[in-house]
Formats: sequence, structure tokens, C-alpha cells
Amino acid sequence: MSRSRRGGRPLWIVLVLLVLLHFYVRPRIWPGAGAPDFLLIALMVLSLRTRPGTAAVAGFLTGLVLDVLMPVRFGAGALSHTVVGFAAAWGRTVFFPDNLIVNGILFAVGTLVRNLLLLIASGSGVIGALSAFGPASLAQAATTALAGIAVTLAIRHRVDFRLDE
Amino acid sequence: MDRHTGRASTRRDTGIFLLCVTLSLLALLSPPSWNRGLAGGIRETALRPLIALQRFAEEGRTSRERLRVAIAERDSMAIELQNAAAIVAENARLRELLDLRSQIPETFLPADVLHQPLPTDGQTLLLGVGTNRGVRAYQPVIVGAGLVGVVVEASRSSSIAHTWANPEFRVSAVTDDGSVLGIVAPTNREGSGIPGLEFRGVAYRDTVPVGTRVVTSGLGGVYPNGLVIGWVTGVAREEIGWERVYALRPAVNLGVVSHVLLLPSVEPALGDSVP
Repeated sequence: MSRSRRGGRPLWIVLVLLVLLHFYVRPRIWPGAGAPDFLLIALMVLSLRTRPGTAAVAGFLTGLVLDVLMPVRFGAGALSHTVVGFAAAWGRTVFFPDNLIVNGILFAVGTLVRNLLLLIASGSGVIGALSAFGPASLAQAATTALAGIAVTLAIRHRVDFRLDE
Repeated sequence: MDRHTGRASTRRDTGIFLLCVTLSLLALLSPPSWNRGLAGGIRETALRPLIALQRFAEEGRTSRERLRVAIAERDSMAIELQNAAAIVAENARLRELLDLRSQIPETFLPADVLHQPLPTDGQTLLLGVGTNRGVRAYQPVIVGAGLVGVVVEASRSSSIAHTWANPEFRVSAVTDDGSVLGIVAPTNREGSGIPGLEFRGVAYRDTVPVGTRVVTSGLGGVYPNGLVIGWVTGVAREEIGWERVYALRPAVNLGVVSHVLLLPSVEPALGDSVP
């Protein structure tokens, strides 16, 4: 395995910016339901550029952060984000992640799957888990997809940090 | 990359994934008391700067609106205070005669709510104050409209509150006129996934009209009496001959709560131990 860089800024700067967007900009502009999840975008951006194992660890750590901040059931966030991160990294070989529209769909599906798994693991029951496809969740999937596309556009030719197989 | 190296990498990735899933499941299955210590430790170390950043952002967003509301409330209060002093003194004298304690504590601690963009936001809330400001477990959390929930965990600079939408939330409640007693618990309204409240344990012989206000009864030693929980919207279901369960419209919309008040524990000893 070799690590290649085609110039530009390293990915970690983008990830730090996304974390700042999540904890500073989002609460100022859009604190309510349906707000884009910048931590999930950071996870997906990383997952689409790294190996599945790395993405799983990144997902686990992201979920752990959210479990600490909002512990309905500790471990639910870690489990859901691990699965989403691993699946996104594994799926990039299938889903042509360089296509913007496909990227947007991946962000939206990732949000919905994360929400569904999180609700199930939190013990919300089958009926409660259906709210993963409710208006707030769908709005969040849409805004996360749009924000994810914007991030992808912004970093497309500036950041390249891919672990080649 | 040759085939053997590729297979080894894939096996390693799968192994790491399974390890992460196993750790997550262990966290899910471990007792809450273990998790609380770990979560509190992480909040006070690695995540402390991020929580401070979000608190700063929340304050910045709400400061202008809060100032406007505060001025309006101050003006209203100034008018009400013209008559309040005599009524308060009379109320205190009557309560003393009847040997009743104060209905709602006079001291409180304000706190910012740090929302997270998760579907479970609203079941628990991250509050921007902690033990350094005197927060303890079991402090009731309210807003002007009514009861929000209760603090379940407090670390040095932040705390976690369970709201009325949390599946573990229960509160002893009574109708406004004190005639019907029951327990209020959360529910998924009509299977929609939208959280609502139910007034349970009402004896079959009792009837509660639609629109009746339900408040905390003060029983149980966690919540003071008189905090508004919600309004009856109808009968949710009946256990024939035994009890009626009423649906409640919650007094507080958790999605828009940005600022809450923490009341002191009714029973101070409760705050010393976390369940």
C-alpha cells in the first residue's frame, strides 16, 4: 500500500474545518432539526478516501464523541457511525465517488442509515425507528447532502489524500 | 498490489470493523454507571474545548433575542410587582399556617442547551453548566412554559438532562384542580415516531376533560409541585374496568428550547447519588 498526494492541502485541515463548522457555525446559523451534520460529512469525506478499516475506526471515534455529548444509550452512536463509515469506504469501489451527484446521494443515504441505526440501537423500538424517515430526518439528509456536495466541490482539486490499494 | 497483500488488507479491515462493532456493543450492554464516568471524563478533557466553542456560539446566536425578551419580561414584571408584594406575603402567611412548603423554589440556575443534529436530540439535552456552577443530578429542568426534564449526570462544566421525551422519563402528576392523580410518561404519538406524553394510572371511575392542565404533584422527591407538564387532548386507550390512559399535549416544545432553568433538588440528598 502506498500513500499518494497530488499536491494541495492535507485532508486533516478540511476535517478540522468541518469540526469547527459543526460546533461553531451550525449552532449560530441553524441550531434546530434538519441542520446539516458536519461531523457525518467529515466521516464520509474521510471514508471515501481511506481504507474501510480506517473508516471504521474514524466512525467509531465520531460516534463516541456524539455518545458522550448525547448519551441516550452509550454506544449507539459508535455502532451506527462505525457501520456507516465502513460501508461508505467499502462502497466507494462500487459507487464511483468522484461523481458529484453520487456523492450527494451517498451523503443523504449515509445520514438516513445513521439515523435509523442510531434510533434502533437507542432502544426507540420499531415505531420510533421509523422517524428516521420522518420529515426532520429527510430534511437533514437533504441539507447534509447539499453541504457535502459543497465540501466536495471545495476540496475536489485542492485535497487529495487517498490510500491506494 | 498482489492478490495476497490485497486479501490480507481486506481481512485486516474486516477485523478492525468487527473490533469496533464489538466495542460498540460492549458499550451498549455495559451498565450506565460505568458509561457515565467515562463520558463525563471525555467531556471534561478531550471535548471540553468543543463544548465551550458551541456554548459560545449559542450565546452569540441567542443574545440579541434574549435581551429583547428580557426587556419585555422586565416591563411586564414591573407592572405585576405593583400588586405582587401583598399577595406573596399573604400566600406565605397562609402556607405557614397550613404547614406547607414553598410551591416552586425561588432560586434557579440558567443554562444554555447545546443541541446536536441527531434524531435522538430532544430525548437528552447537553447543558452548558456543570458542577462548577453547583449543578447536581436530579435537579429539575424547566422553561417558562413548563417542565423540560431532570439532570441525570453532571460533570465539571457540562451536564446531561433527560427530557420528557426520553423513554425512561416518569413524573408523578395531578390535574390542575388536584382531583386526579397519575403518572406521566412519554409515548410515540399514534405510531408516528413523534414523541408525546401520556397520563397513566388514572382510575376508571375518574374522567378528565379535554383541555385540563396537568402539573407535577410533588410526590417522589424530585420535582416540586405545580410545574406544568401538558394539557389533556383525549383518551389514548382504556384498560376496561381498570384504568384510563389520557394523551397529553406537552407544554414544552423541545425542538426550540435554547435556554433552560435548573431548579434546586427538592430532596438535597438525592443529588449525592446517581442511579
